[in-house]
Amino acid sequence: MTQSHRLNPQPGEVIDRSAPLNFTWNGKRLTGFQGDTIASALMANGVEVVSRSMKYHRPRGYMTADFWDPNGFVQVGDEPNVRSGHRQLTSGITVDPQNVWPSLDYDVKAANGLVGRFLSAGFYYKTFMKPAALWPAFEKVLATFAPGGSVDLDSTPGYYDKRYSHPDVLVAGGGPAGMAAAIAAAESGARVMLVEHEHQLGGHLRWGSTADQASARQLAESVAAAGVEVLTDSTVTGRYEDSWVAVSQRSHAHAVERLIKARAKVLIVAPGLIERPYVFAGNDKPGVMLSGAVRRSIAMYATRPGSRAVVFSGNADGDAAAIDLERVGVDVAAVIDARSGANIVEAHGGAKRVSSVELADGSSIDADLLVVAAGWTAPTSLLNMAGDRPVYDASCARFFPSATIDNVLSCGGIAGDGNFDEIVAHAQATGRLAAERAAAVQHRLQARTARSAPVEFAEPAWPADVRSPLGRDAHPELFQSSTVGMVDFSEDVSSKDLVLAAKEGYDSVELLKRFTTATMGPSQGKLETVNTVAVLADARGETIEEVGTTVWRPPYAPISLGGLAGRMFNPHRVSSIHPWHESNGQIPIQVAAWERPEHYGNPAGEVTNTRTNVGIIDVSPLGKLDLRGPDVPKLLNLLYTNKWSKLPIGGVRYGLMCAEDGVVLDDGVTGRLGEHHYLMTTTSSGAARVWEWAENWLQTEHPDWQVHITPVTTALSSINIAGPKSRELLSRLTSIDLSREAFPYMTLRTGIVAGIDDCIMWRIGFTGELSYEVHVPSGYGLHVWQALIDAGADLGVAPFGLEAQRIMRLEKGHFIVGQDTDGLTLAVSAGVASLIKLDKDDFVGKTELAWALADRMHELPQVVAIQTAAPTVVPTEATQIVRPGTNEILGRITSSRMSPTLGRSICMGQVPSSLAAGGTALELVLVPDGRRVAATVLDTHAHFDPEGARLRA
Amino acid sequence: MLLVPCPYCGPRNSSDLRHVGEAISRPDPNAASPEQWRSYLYLRDNVADWNVETWYCTRGCRKYFKVERNTATNEFRDPPMPGNKIGGKA
Amino acid sequence: MPEFESAIIKTYAPNPGASMFLSDESATTKLLVRSDQAQFGLVFGASSAVGEALICATRPDEWLILGSEPAVDAAAAGIDSGGFTNVIPFTHGRSLFRLTGAHAAGLLEKICGIDWSDAMTPEGAVTSASVALTTCDIIRHDRNGIRSYLLMCDRSFGQYLFDALLDAGDEFGISVE
Repeated sequence: MTQSHRLNPQPGEVIDRSAPLNFTWNGKRLTGFQGDTIASALMANGVEVVSRSMKYHRPRGYMTADFWDPNGFVQVGDEPNVRSGHRQLTSGITVDPQNVWPSLDYDVKAANGLVGRFLSAGFYYKTFMKPAALWPAFEKVLATFAPGGSVDLDSTPGYYDKRYSHPDVLVAGGGPAGMAAAIAAAESGARVMLVEHEHQLGGHLRWGSTADQASARQLAESVAAAGVEVLTDSTVTGRYEDSWVAVSQRSHAHAVERLIKARAKVLIVAPGLIERPYVFAGNDKPGVMLSGAVRRSIAMYATRPGSRAVVFSGNADGDAAAIDLERVGVDVAAVIDARSGANIVEAHGGAKRVSSVELADGSSIDADLLVVAAGWTAPTSLLNMAGDRPVYDASCARFFPSATIDNVLSCGGIAGDGNFDEIVAHAQATGRLAAERAAAVQHRLQARTARSAPVEFAEPAWPADVRSPLGRDAHPELFQSSTVGMVDFSEDVSSKDLVLAAKEGYDSVELLKRFTTATMGPSQGKLETVNTVAVLADARGETIEEVGTTVWRPPYAPISLGGLAGRMFNPHRVSSIHPWHESNGQIPIQVAAWERPEHYGNPAGEVTNTRTNVGIIDVSPLGKLDLRGPDVPKLLNLLYTNKWSKLPIGGVRYGLMCAEDGVVLDDGVTGRLGEHHYLMTTTSSGAARVWEWAENWLQTEHPDWQVHITPVTTALSSINIAGPKSRELLSRLTSIDLSREAFPYMTLRTGIVAGIDDCIMWRIGFTGELSYEVHVPSGYGLHVWQALIDAGADLGVAPFGLEAQRIMRLEKGHFIVGQDTDGLTLAVSAGVASLIKLDKDDFVGKTELAWALADRMHELPQVVAIQTAAPTVVPTEATQIVRPGTNEILGRITSSRMSPTLGRSICMGQVPSSLAAGGTALELVLVPDGRRVAATVLDTHAHFDPEGARLRA
Repeated sequence: MLLVPCPYCGPRNSSDLRHVGEAISRPDPNAASPEQWRSYLYLRDNVADWNVETWYCTRGCRKYFKVERNTATNEFRDPPMPGNKIGGKA
Repeated sequence: MPEFESAIIKTYAPNPGASMFLSDESATTKLLVRSDQAQFGLVFGASSAVGEALICATRPDEWLILGSEPAVDAAAAGIDSGGFTNVIPFTHGRSLFRLTGAHAAGLLEKICGIDWSDAMTPEGAVTSASVALTTCDIIRHDRNGIRSYLLMCDRSFGQYLFDALLDAGDEFGISVE
């Protein structure tokens, strides 16, 4: 096929005829030009039917031939739902129609059209509600009817980008008004970002007269000269609190799409007007086009939209379309002038295209093109989002802004009408006002921001709006003909559907919208909203003002999920020893943001080696807070349930933290390094929370206390050396006396380890073994780790991972906050009664714990150690605990493992206090088969070495 | 996104801060009745009006501060920030 | 003493045509001063050279001294130890990167919500903010009239942030220096 419908060169065309581009449409090879949209290239090749409608599978052609065209969704390669009226043609692309089966020209589902009354509004709600059990079957059938393209799950995701911006003035819309406003604002000293939805600046001037096109060029040149940042093919999709503006940029050189989050000081809304379809029978047939579509096709893309036209005109643009058509040789059979009361009632035609137009007077005119110029819709979305509720003006048949908003100004067609000079003058005044207001905002921001450049003058008074408003041109109210026609083309909702829904009681506009889905399709109501309101008003016998309109919410235009998600940031933390783990066979596990070794191939073997010889584990993620100041003991006494006033220098103590409701918050070990210097450790996941928690108590409750908290979690790399040979291993790397007498359990020493100064060592025992935790300045963490590995070869030193540590702590009966306790577990349930010191004056959670101990213990659970009768059964975590022989649920298993040390399964769980005594018989209901096994509560939390002989060795 | 007037850093995106909640005062833990204590733990006024609330400047100065905000309009009142909505009303 | 090891462990091929540069300066000596006394006459958000060291007022009650070890030691002599003051060695706690290039602010705009204009973050400005979802201290510290920023994050996030900066800088022609 040649470009049979391409006209001779037009003065304002945006195509480059020297750059032909090949592409395929529906399997056929076609040619277009650089600068074409997919739609204009198809039209140039005489393609008439481009899609099938969503519900009735009616044939559709281009109606607006721009971004908003409800009929132009196509599949381009592996990308579905491409707007062919907007997307520019590129070489070699494969374009296919969507929503057709088996083919575009013959669509089986078009049979829907014959039984259309069964698919009226709410059809799905009404028909498939009962019986509910059949819904999966219904769903399967309906899915084959669902509209849309096909998603290729194997396609590689593109690079979607995000960016912040802080323009003084952001202008939404690059037509004459937007450009004039941007220039004026920039010339007044503002940093301006101008965002245009289309591929070129110029708005409607692009398809206007030669003089219009010259004006567009001139304005665009001035925009560039004024230093305005211009984003074309980009949409201001939303305006949020405090002038936070979202821009979707589709034209970025390095990204498929880029989401710009702009904190605009002032937003200028200048989106122009969107041409509104007219509701009459056959208004969705291929060959029915809006006047702007016809004029764009001719002026910008040099395509001939038909050969014999009827023009239904309610305004100057309709008249201009008739003139344009005649100029390029299209036979204009008739201009039906709506202003004089003439009307059209139906577009007749076959399967593919309009063939004649029936008028209200009963006559009929043969034509393959029906041009409709029925009026304009003001796309007030961004104003709605800023709190405006636009008001309908019947004399102009459109809505106008009503509110005065400090930092959102509008200009151009959305604000009123006028000739070019009037529109530009109003826009320039808007741009200047925006720049003045932005300067006032900038002054406020700068004066209040510590780091900013100083402001040398007083804050200017808030600039008043002294613009003379634009006039308004009269326009006939053309909402529907006497016949039934399509209102929402993308959702296939007709005026009859709306009337029926209103009769059924959905007669509020917000309800009607949701029930019929009118205005909820990909055109986001830009084409349909006012017609929907008008049909409802008619059905209710009221005016449009009385019915009101739906509230336009973000997005202004649909935005891709990739664009919304943007580049995903997944902060990833590793310790200084990570390179060693990576090159020594670690199986990593992600714990919050941390990547840590779960094990190195054999966690049970790691346990056995640690219990037999010596193991080392990288515990750097352990939260660490450096505490300095004379009032640290007061802070510790407040945050922990136990007492801290008498901790000697060199002492280490375990502490449990609660929230104010007595629920366990965190736990860890704190050591005293000096007179006024302590090191607190927290759980790995609790590090940030505990820091904020402690700061909160200091800053808001006790600002008089002298304490400095500094997080040092990764300033120090932490290595736990555990096992009977740990003392021997460490002694080879330090001159510190490690003997039992010189360095007893729960004490700390500081000094040199493996040649590294300023190391902190403390003797604690999460694993239950003789163990030393060494905290090393992180720049030398890897060095110390390697030194331990090298020095201990003859001792059988081997690394162990998180899994082995978890097994050993469970053998030893140490609970993990958040695993064995939950969001309801009070400290009094954790089996650590000796740590709760109610005789302290105050500690966080004390009140609730005191009341619980006094009279709630019988109703609270206890954390206990449990063993199954069958030693090989390892119940999964969260296994239910029941009263033997019954279904009465008593509690659950919170931790379970096979213990390599004991050769049997071991568990921890929560049971009622009355059943927490050692020897109590329980029954577990196993997952997934419901098999029951007997189990017993242990006397102590520890399954292994309950006396703690090993760790005190 | 709200622009929150941190008294130390200046106006910051709310994503840089944590909204701690309505400012509350802690009763004397040794004297409070269960009713008083649990109202401190759980009960908030949740007004649609001017309200004193606490914020924490997580990504900035790491200070807790109290500020008055109108929960219906998101307007902040000075002190600590002179001016209310930084960019004017809307 | 063995050599200080940075969190940046990957190696990067230099980009010969680069117009923006990222360097790892994590080995720089860092000394934290926490104090209720004004230090070095610097208010929160400001920075200043003291001898060969750079002093940054990183929080309302916190100052960070950066430089070579002798330079930091020399500057530390000027700490006012009155009131409630603590000095905390911090070299190992932070990764420190320098980003230099005419479009350095354009890179930061992609991953940080702060306004990098001259009015809001002039030369010497110190701020902290989320950069690619990690909390960073950022100091504007131009080099020979070319935009330059020092970025400091928790050491454990160092490699992640370094790579996030390189990814964001790809469109500007960034190179590791």
